[in-house]
Amino acid sequence: MEPAALEQPALEQEIAQLIIDTLNLEDLAATDIPVDQPLFGEGLGLDSVDALELALALQKRYGIRIESNAKHASQHFATIASLAAYVEVQRTACAS
Amino acid sequence: MMDFRIEQWRAWAPGLDSTQAWQAWAQAPHIVPDNLEQPTCAFLPAMQRRRLSRLARITMEVAWPLCGEDEQLPFVFASRHGETPCTFALLADVAQEQPLSPTKFGLSVHNAIAGQWSILRGQRGESVAIAGEADTFEHAMLEGAMLLAEGAPAVVVVIAEEQPAAAYAGWIDDVPFSYALALRLGKIDPSIESPADTSWRLELGPHGGDGTPGTWPHALNFLRALHTQEPSLEHAALEHASLEHVWKTRRWNWQRTR
Repeated sequence: MEPAALEQPALEQEIAQLIIDTLNLEDLAATDIPVDQPLFGEGLGLDSVDALELALALQKRYGIRIESNAKHASQHFATIASLAAYVEVQRTACAS
Repeated sequence: MMDFRIEQWRAWAPGLDSTQAWQAWAQAPHIVPDNLEQPTCAFLPAMQRRRLSRLARITMEVAWPLCGEDEQLPFVFASRHGETPCTFALLADVAQEQPLSPTKFGLSVHNAIAGQWSILRGQRGESVAIAGEADTFEHAMLEGAMLLAEGAPAVVVVIAEEQPAAAYAGWIDDVPFSYALALRLGKIDPSIESPADTSWRLELGPHGGDGTPGTWPHALNFLRALHTQEPSLEHAALEHASLEHVWKTRRWNWQRTR
């Protein structure tokens, strides 16, 4: 039972699709990645090169800046839910 | 002069993915339409497939069955042009001052595919990545023959070319469509009875004058020879089983010896 995966809010869904498209995860659909599943290591199984690729895609898509030495980056990138929260905050910060 | 056996081989091009399809092509060679088709590489889990470019997939598709799960074999990757579509896409990003994809940039070296082969197949031995001229195929065979002479039990040699980006059309004229040919080379050993094998002698001699390049890339031409010269032919016919590829000052003579 993963109720979180059943109803993904729009931004989560969008980020899940961005991950699939950017990282070429052929056999997956956006709804296949639970928003609270770890993206790296155990879980989806992404690695550090994927993280770089994903950071680039997020910057392009949402017009945000992610410093490579940003504190807590690994926490922000932990799950789709945490990424969505991070993008939301950064988007607001960059827009102002 | 080099002698070797071709123990196994496998080829791929758009729409040409079976022995029958290649047999038909060998008898009536023609330019097949290249609509960026790529092999599925279903033998790999999706997570391992995600960083394979089109040329890498084509290479894996042909080479994969030529190496046993428990074997360690040297690997020769040969491509005259490499991944021009990837190079062109990266250069376009540079020109537009866009950040480069770390994955694409990291894999934009000629030996990237040989490296991916090593990782995916757990191969810890030698690998060679070469780019030559129109006779890159023969130079790849030379590498393979030298690795055999060094003591390798067998060598996997792949030549792979991808249809170039349109911008290169005026410069690259020897890739009629994307293709790859993988060969498993072995030493000549009279004590081994393996009727399915063919044995070949490849000899390099000098060539004067320009000569006209053949209609087909050398590897595809050799593929035709592999098909049209069935082992069932009489000895008399075997003597004629030869082909010659010339390029600049080099004359490569292929002679089937068994």
